Amino acid sequence: MKKPDSLSVLVFIRSWGITILLVVLWALFASVAPVFGTFENASLILGAASISAIFAASIAMGVFSGALDLSVPGTAAVSGIVLGMLIGKGVDPVLAIAVALVIGAVIGYINGLIVQTGLNPLAVTIGMLSVTSGLAAILSDGIPLFDKMDSLGWLGTEIYFGLPSTFYVVIVVFVVGTIFLTKTRGGIRFLAAGGNAEALRRAGVNANTYRLLGFILSGALAALGGVVTCAYTAQASPTAATGVLFDGLTAVALSGISLAGGRGSLPKVLVGALVISTIGSGLLILNIQPYWTITITGLLLIGALAGEHYLGKAVARQAVGKSKVSAHKEAK
Amino acid sequence: MSANSTPALDLQGIELHYGYVKALDGINFKVNQGEAVALLGDNGAGKSTLLKLMSGVHRQTHGTIRVHGDEVNFHAPKDSANAGIEMVYQDLALVDALDSATNLLLGKEILRKGPLGWLGFVDRKKMIAEANSETELLGVKIANLTRPVEMLSGGQRQGVALARAAVRVNNKPNGILLLDEPTAALGYEQKVMVEGLIKRLAASGIAVVVVTHDLPLAFNATSRMVVLNRGRKVADVQTSETTYEKIVGYITGALPAQENMY
Repeated sequence: MKKPDSLSVLVFIRSWGITILLVVLWALFASVAPVFGTFENASLILGAASISAIFAASIAMGVFSGALDLSVPGTAAVSGIVLGMLIGKGVDPVLAIAVALVIGAVIGYINGLIVQTGLNPLAVTIGMLSVTSGLAAILSDGIPLFDKMDSLGWLGTEIYFGLPSTFYVVIVVFVVGTIFLTKTRGGIRFLAAGGNAEALRRAGVNANTYRLLGFILSGALAALGGVVTCAYTAQASPTAATGVLFDGLTAVALSGISLAGGRGSLPKVLVGALVISTIGSGLLILNIQPYWTITITGLLLIGALAGEHYLGKAVARQAVGKSKVSAHKEAK
Repeated sequence: MSANSTPALDLQGIELHYGYVKALDGINFKVNQGEAVALLGDNGAGKSTLLKLMSGVHRQTHGTIRVHGDEVNFHAPKDSANAGIEMVYQDLALVDALDSATNLLLGKEILRKGPLGWLGFVDRKKMIAEANSETELLGVKIANLTRPVEMLSGGQRQGVALARAAVRVNNKPNGILLLDEPTAALGYEQKVMVEGLIKRLAASGIAVVVVTHDLPLAFNATSRMVVLNRGRKVADVQTSETTYEKIVGYITGALPAQENMY
């Protein structure tokens, strides 16, 4: 009886550890600084978490399909600059946003095509990070674009029903993404391509299509992150914010997803992004130097990977022990 | 010629050279529909290499391969799959995070009816029911179809991989199934299950080739045995007309090769 018990404890920690961490953090900060627990502060944290969450979704989609896309900040910058230029010229904002998203998808597509020739995805996407960062600066002469950017307030800074507009974008992205991953044939094959592309190939499915889709989704979501950043800050910055990469990657790691691909849950990625924003906001309220946030994010990333490594092994050990027992019972 | 008198798979004069080494030397091998053939031999005898020619992983230097009488040229595993050949590799090729039912039906997922189906929504209930009925039809027991295969033991994973190949080959008329050491990781009960599965598939008209070290499996589940030794075929006998001692003799080289092997 002991083994199944420790197995269910391990599985519980693996499934709920991140959510528990979030609740503990909230309770901790709220008890130290009462202002933290207010609805206004919660709304602020959601606003700050939203942009990280969109970038986390972008990185997560890449990781799920088996490729870590490091070009995300560059893709966001170049899409944001194009958006800023179009808005400045008086183009309809919705059309301008659509163009920016398509640019992100195309950059992802190019990443995917290059990686499929057999090159290392990390190296290729780092290269693309440089290419796109440079392009963003070239297009804007290296200066931020402000012209008419406040016309995106409805997307970036407005509050609807007490919640920041950016959070509604997050809800749409994560709900649609979760339905795609868990309920559709495309989602099953998408995850299978990340988990074991050979198995998919032998099933007669073109695995390359789905790996390419991972890059396209990653690129389009990176562009969405860039668009929302522009709307939130009311400017298009030519500088690729590499910090979003680290936050996003940490959120993905906190969600307990193997960076090797093939599995993943978007809601947990969202909780991971909330954990990072909560720490940032909490430290700010406690008047602790903000640099600590960067250090803690790094520690979280390493800790999350180490935790997942240990838990994964422990669960596998216990599960095999348990299933051997049940196989034996069946035979009798 | 009727389908029954043409071999399902017919290899003639097969040679494979690795540089100066002849891995396979003038091998003739055939299997008919409804027949299970064991391919035996010591390590390095060439049995796995021969199997890889049939599944399109390797390509012969000389010789011809015919499937249902038509000459084929396999350049990749998908070519052999398109010709109706299903192979279970030792590495199993399962998607760890997906459950058994989804692994079984990967590539032919069942969609919901109506607009949701057009959007690609899968019908989980139907998929589990389909996986259930297909594995039951084959007499394969899988503990829990909704559990991720990474949570299954080695033997159960083998069961899922075998069931998947069997399901696919079962749906094709004149199917051909290639198995590479299907019992390598299995306990006793699961070996018995695999033996039964091979016999049932052969009885239903499937052509089965089993590469194995497991002589009890070969004797219990197949009707003919082909023995390779150092890249040559040394014996091709009906299971009912031979003995363990003879087969071991052919495998080790203690017995001379049969005549007319070329």
